[in-house]
Amino acid sequence: MEVFSFEKGSHQMMDTVVTLERVSRSFRRGDEEVKALVELSLDLAAGEMVALVGPSGCGKSTALNLVAAVDRPNSGSVRVCGVDIADAAEEELVTLRRRSIGMVFQAFHLVPHLTVEENIALPLALDHRRDPARVADLIHRVGLDHRRRHYPSELSGGEQQRTAVARALVHRPRVLVADEPTGNLDSRTGAAVVALLDELRRDEEAALLLATHDSKMAAVADRVCELADGRVVQ
Amino acid sequence: MIYRALFLRPLVRRPWRFLVTVIGVAVGVAAVVSTVAASRAAIASFAEGVEEVAGAARLEVTRPGGLPEELLDALRPLAGDALIVPVVEENVLLLELEDGVRLLGVDLLLDAQVRPVLDDGGGFPDLETTLLGFGALISKSLAARLGASLGDQLTISADGRPRSIEVAGLFDIAGLSAVWERVVVMDVAAVQELLGRVGRLDRIELVPRAGSDLDQLRAGAVALLPADVAVAEPSQRRRFAEQMLASLRFNLLALSAISLLVGGVLVATTLATSVVQRRYVVSLLRSLGASRRQVAAAVLLEALAIGGLGGILGVAAGFGGARLALASVRFTVASVVRGIPASDIRFDPQLAVLGVLVAVATSLAAAVLPLLEVTMTPPLQGLRPVAPRPLSGRARLVVAGVLVSMTLVAAGLTRAPTLWDLPVAALLAALLVMSSLLVGSGILLDSLARLGHLPFAKLRAVPLQLASAALSAGRRRAAWAAGSVAVAVALAVAIATMVSSFRSTVEGWTASGLRADVWVRPLAAETGVWLGRLDPEIVTIAEELFGADAVDPFYAEMISYEGRPVSFAGAAFDVVQHFGSVPFPGRDSASVFAEALRRNGAVVNEPFANRFRIREGDRIRLELPGGVLEREVVGVFRDYSRSHGLVVVDRRDFLPFFPDRGPDDMALFLPPEVDAAAARERMLDAVRGRFLIEALLNRELKGAVLDAFERTFAITTAMYLVAAVVAVVAVAAVLFTLVGERRRELATVRALGGSRSQLMAMVVAEAGLLGVAAAAAGTAAGLVVGVILVKVVNLQSFGWSLELVLPWASLAEMAAWVVSACLLAGLPPAVVAARLQPAAVLREEG
Repeated sequence: MEVFSFEKGSHQMMDTVVTLERVSRSFRRGDEEVKALVELSLDLAAGEMVALVGPSGCGKSTALNLVAAVDRPNSGSVRVCGVDIADAAEEELVTLRRRSIGMVFQAFHLVPHLTVEENIALPLALDHRRDPARVADLIHRVGLDHRRRHYPSELSGGEQQRTAVARALVHRPRVLVADEPTGNLDSRTGAAVVALLDELRRDEEAALLLATHDSKMAAVADRVCELADGRVVQ
Repeated sequence: MIYRALFLRPLVRRPWRFLVTVIGVAVGVAAVVSTVAASRAAIASFAEGVEEVAGAARLEVTRPGGLPEELLDALRPLAGDALIVPVVEENVLLLELEDGVRLLGVDLLLDAQVRPVLDDGGGFPDLETTLLGFGALISKSLAARLGASLGDQLTISADGRPRSIEVAGLFDIAGLSAVWERVVVMDVAAVQELLGRVGRLDRIELVPRAGSDLDQLRAGAVALLPADVAVAEPSQRRRFAEQMLASLRFNLLALSAISLLVGGVLVATTLATSVVQRRYVVSLLRSLGASRRQVAAAVLLEALAIGGLGGILGVAAGFGGARLALASVRFTVASVVRGIPASDIRFDPQLAVLGVLVAVATSLAAAVLPLLEVTMTPPLQGLRPVAPRPLSGRARLVVAGVLVSMTLVAAGLTRAPTLWDLPVAALLAALLVMSSLLVGSGILLDSLARLGHLPFAKLRAVPLQLASAALSAGRRRAAWAAGSVAVAVALAVAIATMVSSFRSTVEGWTASGLRADVWVRPLAAETGVWLGRLDPEIVTIAEELFGADAVDPFYAEMISYEGRPVSFAGAAFDVVQHFGSVPFPGRDSASVFAEALRRNGAVVNEPFANRFRIREGDRIRLELPGGVLEREVVGVFRDYSRSHGLVVVDRRDFLPFFPDRGPDDMALFLPPEVDAAAARERMLDAVRGRFLIEALLNRELKGAVLDAFERTFAITTAMYLVAAVVAVVAVAAVLFTLVGERRRELATVRALGGSRSQLMAMVVAEAGLLGVAAAAAGTAAGLVVGVILVKVVNLQSFGWSLELVLPWASLAEMAAWVVSACLLAGLPPAVVAARLQPAAVLREEG
C-alpha cells in the first residue's frame, strides 16, 4: 500500500479519469457557513482505487458528490472523464452520470418499489437502453439469482448492498464512487461486499473512489487520502 | 409535546399541506352553504313569506279564484271574537325595479293591529293619498334601491295594465324578514281598483281577540261560510308552497352534498398521507411511552382543526357564492311557483353554525381510517418496511364481492318507492354507486400499475415504469386521490347525462309541442318569469284581429287535489285540436282533443298522472269554488314546464268556475299565408298605451324555453365544477405527499443518471395514471348514476319521463379534461421533484 500526500502533480498518471484541482465547497447551515472542502486537489487514474478516510464531517461525502457529478464546487476545478463539472450544462452532467459514473451508497438507496432485477437495470433504463444479458450476468455474479424478483425490503443488508454494487456497474462506468459502502453492514458482510466491489471493478477496469471509516477496507485501496476539516492532512 | 411533534411542528414546517386540505373542505362546505342559502332565500320568500306577511292572523278564509266581498258581512257575527281583515294580494311588476313585488291590499286603519311592520307609532302616511288615491307604503330599503322618496310616482304592471302609484309612506324592516323589502302595501280598495277586482278579495284574515278560542272561531267561521270556502291556518299555504318546491330543494341539497363528499375524501386523503409521513415519529413516540390514545388524539386534533377552519372559510365563501347561485335558483323557483323570489342573501347564523358542524363532522368521519392506521403503528422496534406487493388474489376477491354487493343493494334501492314523496332511496343508490369508486379505486390502481410491467413500458418509458411502480407501492394513498377524482368525474358524467337527456327531451318537446305562431304573455320580470295574467280584454282584441278560431287563451288557477297543490287550467280545445300538437305518448294530439271535446273530458300532465296514479279512462273529481267538476281523463301529456300536477279542461268548463279570470298567456295560430312578425306588430299596436305585454314568435318562444332550461341547470353545472376543483386539489396534495415521501428515491434516480425531465415525467405520469384510472372508473359509475337520475330520480321528483341520451362527445371531452387536469395538478409536484438537489438530499437522508 502506498500513502500519498495528494498534492497536485505528486501522482500524475497518463490515463487520469478524475482530477480535482484546488476545490472548495461550502454550505450554509442556518446563519453559519460550513466549509466542507478547502482547496482539495486529487487525481484518480483508470483502474485505480483510492480510499478517502477521516472522521465524520471531514468532507469525504462532499468530495464524492462532486466526483459523482451531483454537486458543483464553489471554486476550483473538478474534471471527470474530461467533463468540467463546474461549467458543464445540466444535460452534460446527466449524460456523464448515465454513462461514466456508478454510485454505491452507505444506505443502499435502492428504489423500494422496484425488484432487484429492475433496480439493477435502472441506470440502463434511464439511458433508454436494455441489456438483459448484462443484468442477468451481474445478478449471477453478485449471487442474487434467487432474489431477482424480490423487493429491497425483502432482502438482508448485504443482499441490498450487493444489488447496489451490481446497479453501480451495470452500465460499465469508468468511475465508481462508493460512500461508506460497508457502513450499514456487519464486518464480515462488509468485507465480502468490498471484495466483490473490488473484483468487479477490476474486471471492468473502473476507477474507484471510496469513502470509509474502516481501516481494513482502506487497506485494500491502491492509495489512501486522509481528510480533516475539508483539507488533506496526509 | 405529542401534539407538537405530530401536529403543530409539521403544520409550521409544511403549512401548504394543511392549507390545501382546509381549502378542500372549505370548497365542499361552500358548495353546500351556497346552495342551501340560495335555495332557502329563494324558497323562503314564498314559504316563510306566507306567514310573515300574514302577521298576527291565525286563520284565513280562502277559495281558489278569490272571495266575494260580501263574505265580510257573513263573518260579522264573529267580530267580537276576532278582527276580520280583508286582503287582496298579487304579484305585480314594478317597472322601476324591473322585477316583481308583492302588492298587498289591506285595511290600513285596521292593519296596524295585524302586521307589526305597519305599526309605525302614529307617524303614519298621508291618509288622503292612501285611502282616496293610489298611495302606497314601501320599505325604506326598496325606496333606497329605487332612489324614491315620498310623493314620487312608481309604475306597476298588473295583469298587463300599467298603473301609477304614489309613494305615500316608508316603513322600516330592520329585524324583520327580508320578504318585506319587496312588499308594497296599499289600501284594499285601491288595490281592488288597480287589479280590476272590485268587490273581490283574495282572502279574509281572522285575528283572534284576547281570550277567544281558535277552534271555536274556526267552527264559527265554517258555519257562517259556504262549503267551498276553506278556513285554515296561514301555514297551510306555506305547506303548499313547500310541497311544490320540496323536490327542487332536496335535489339541490343532494347535489351539494356530493361536493362535500369529495371534500371529505380530500380530508381523508390528507390525514392518511400525513399519518404515513409521520409513521416514523409516531413509532418513535410509541417506543418512548406514548399510548395509542395519545397519538390518536393528535390525529383527531388535526381533523378538528381542518374541519373547523375549513368550515369557517367555507361558510364565508358559501354566503358569497350564494349570491352567484341565487340568480339561477331564483329563476327555477319563480318558474315553479310563479312569483317573486328574494333577490338578496342574508347571513343566516343557524346555517353558518350548521356549515361549520358539517365540516367538522366530515373531517372527523374522514379521520376514521387514518386513526386506524395510526393506532396500528407499532413501536419503533416493530417498525419494518413493507414490501410493495400487488393486491393478493384473495384481497381482490373480497373487494370484488363488496362491489357486487353494493351494486345489488343500489339496484334494489332504485326500485324502492319514494320516501316523503322524495327520491331518497334512489339518491342513496346513486350515493352507493359513488362510494363504490372509493372501495374499488385500490384494485383499479393496482391493475393500472401492472401496466408498468408490460413490454412497451419496459422498453423505453422508464418514467412510466417508475410511476406505475410508485403508485402501486403508495396504493393506499393514491387510491384515495383516484377515488376523489373518480367521484368528481362520476358526478360530472351523471349531470352531463341528465342534462343531455333533459336537453334532448325538451328540444323534442318544444319542437313538436310548441306550434303557436305568436305567444302573448304579460311583461316578464327580471327573473324571466311573468307575473299576473293577461287582462280578458286582450283576448277580445286578439279575437277581433285574428279570429276566435286562431286564439287559444290558457287559464290556470291553483287548486287543491287530494290535499296537494295542482294547477287547474282551461284552454280552447277546439283551437288546439286543429292547430296544436300537444305530446301525448303514442297518440295523436288532434284525436285526443277531439275525444276530449266529444266526451267532455280532461287531459292531465304526466306529473299529475304519476303523482296521483291516474291513467287514461280514470275519472277525477275536482272541488272548485261553487261546485264539483268530475271529468274523465282522456289523455296524459308530456309536460316539462312544471313538476306539479296540471289538469286541463275546455275553457267552457273552466270559466264558469272562475268567471272574471284573465288568461295566463295566449297562443295565436295563424294561417300559413300570414306573416307572424307582422301579426305580432298588429297585436302590439292594438294594445299599445293600454297594456304591457310581450309577444314572442315561435322561434323566440322555443329559444326562451331552452334558455330557461340552461338557466335552471346553471347551478348543477357549477356544482360539478366545484367538485372537480376539489378533486384536482386532492391529486396535487397526494402527489406532493408522494414526492415528499420519495425525496431520497428521487435523489438516487438523479444520482444514477436520471434527468430532471425524466423525474418530472415520472411524477406527471403518476398524475396521468391517476387521471386515467379516475376517468375510466368515474365515467362508468357516472353513467350508472346518470341513468338513475334520468330514469328514477327525475320521475320520482318531478314526474317527468325523459329519454336517455348519453352525451358521448361530452364524455370524451370530459375524460380528456380530467386527464389533462390531473397532469396539470401533477406539474407543481413534478417541478418540486425536478428541483431536488441530489447531493443535499442524499446528505440529509444518509
